[in-house]
Amino acid sequence: MLLKRYIPIAIVAFFGALTLSAWFIDNETIETFANDDATQFFDIIAAFAVFLGALNLLKLQFIKVLKQQSGWIYSAIAIASFFFAFIIGFFIRGAYFVGEDVYFSQKAAEAAILSSGSSEVVVPVDWGAHVQTDGSLFQWMFKYIFSPLSATMFALLAFFVASASFRAFRARNFEASLLLVAGIIIMLGRVPVGSLISSWTIMYILAFSIGIGINIYLKNRNMVFGWILGSCGLITGFGMTMGWPIDQPAIFFLPALQEWIYLVPNLAGSRAILIGIGLGIVATSLRYIFGLEKSYLGE
Amino acid sequence: MNNKFAVYAGGIVGIILLTFLLSVIPDSFNFFREEKSAMFVFTLIVIMIMLYEVKLAKSSSEPTFLRTIPGLKAVEEAVGRSTEMGRPILYVPGIMDMNEVETVAGVVVLGHVANMTAQYETELDVPVARAIVMQSARQVTKEAYLTQGRPEMYNEDMVHYITDDQFAYAAAVNGIMQRDEPAACLYMGKFFAESLLFAETGNSIGAIQIAGTGSQTQIPFFVTACDYTLMGEEFFAASAYLSKEPELIAGITAQDIIKVILVGFILLSIVSRAFFDLGVTDFNLITWLGL
Repeated sequence: MLLKRYIPIAIVAFFGALTLSAWFIDNETIETFANDDATQFFDIIAAFAVFLGALNLLKLQFIKVLKQQSGWIYSAIAIASFFFAFIIGFFIRGAYFVGEDVYFSQKAAEAAILSSGSSEVVVPVDWGAHVQTDGSLFQWMFKYIFSPLSATMFALLAFFVASASFRAFRARNFEASLLLVAGIIIMLGRVPVGSLISSWTIMYILAFSIGIGINIYLKNRNMVFGWILGSCGLITGFGMTMGWPIDQPAIFFLPALQEWIYLVPNLAGSRAILIGIGLGIVATSLRYIFGLEKSYLGE
Repeated sequence: MNNKFAVYAGGIVGIILLTFLLSVIPDSFNFFREEKSAMFVFTLIVIMIMLYEVKLAKSSSEPTFLRTIPGLKAVEEAVGRSTEMGRPILYVPGIMDMNEVETVAGVVVLGHVANMTAQYETELDVPVARAIVMQSARQVTKEAYLTQGRPEMYNEDMVHYITDDQFAYAAAVNGIMQRDEPAACLYMGKFFAESLLFAETGNSIGAIQIAGTGSQTQIPFFVTACDYTLMGEEFFAASAYLSKEPELIAGITAQDIIKVILVGFILLSIVSRAFFDLGVTDFNLITWLGL
């Protein structure tokens, strides 16, 4: 009980309170602890924990290969990749300089000197620096295997955004319709063609849309006709007498409208969520510091 | 109730006086950062309200009302669905380490989910992106299975490490989804760009999906692609909600009281700013507090 419950809670309470107090106390020791030492402690623990993770990864992949479970071929690739990265990271320098040129092996570097007949000598890269030196085997792996694979995964987002947008923008109810309209305004308002669409056009579209709404709900042809004729006449009349240019009235000009949506309703909503998140983080952290929440100990 | 607000009002006045006293101590003895006074007052008010609410909850026999959070109600539904379909539940506790409060919250919710999977005898799969998270998640899961009296069902490999790298992890989790076709996918923790990769893949396999995160930029993606989303504070309240412990629920009550105080403060600041801008007064609350 003491080891599994009270000591961990006391450690969390003490270090939590210390880190919190560093924010308000002007003391270099406490400040250094909170900003540097504590994070370094964490990094050291995390570095050791990686071994546990790597062992667990290897264990599960080996079991999959040995039992030939579904998708075992991927596990075989994972194991091979793991050892490839491990060996070239720890046991192979992978970068031998001959002047400006870099070669993966000493043999290749010497062969290059022989073939060119130059008087240069082979300079191997320092251990440690070899994982960051441009042209080294490790960097080659990083640049030509790891980065493209990561970029491929990231690029998938473009297609997923499209499919997610397609579902979100289906006008199933009032909220979804609102999202659809806001989405269209933001998209059109942010591209050059948006500034070519006059406020007049948007007002006519709006008048016709309201006409469609009247037709759906009231099913009165005369009323719809009257609305369309009246509203279009008003827009045209006002526009001609007041000499509206393409961007007037500004509220119906897409670039201005999208900016308003972005900076007012959108920002207000996201700030409300942000305040909630901040408050949630403060309350959760205090629950840990005061030992009210003990679930992280498995209780 | 009146007594409670009298305590809070008295407490707030006391905290402000204490901060004032700390500010007037001569500089040679003073370690208090005067420029952080507003934050100091706010922190102490939060602590006071939280501790007092916990004290009240401990002494009260009446249960505290909690509004229904559909996403949390759906967790049990998701576990039930997985049991009926005989398919596993995939739980992703975010991609960050235990130094992120969202990851800790994610691991805590995992404990509650593991309680349910132990109860319903459903398979649970927890791929993690950090080795420390793996250890914590294993401990929480093991305790859950022991609490439910099902230690034989616990297998430490149900929580397994994949990689620290964001997109390699995303690729691996997507692969698990495609191969194992879990009936329910739960994403609870800190997420970045991989959130939509998970949620869309989960959607494509027809899994019931519940997400909870404090990562503001990822909330829209989860809302779009998941069946239920715990937004920000709902996610942090999840542990209290699922545990139904009065002490933890008191923390949520405190959070709501603080929210009301904050709304009042924001309104006061708007009025103060409006008067300042109109030239009615030279006093601006925000400038005065140094915020």
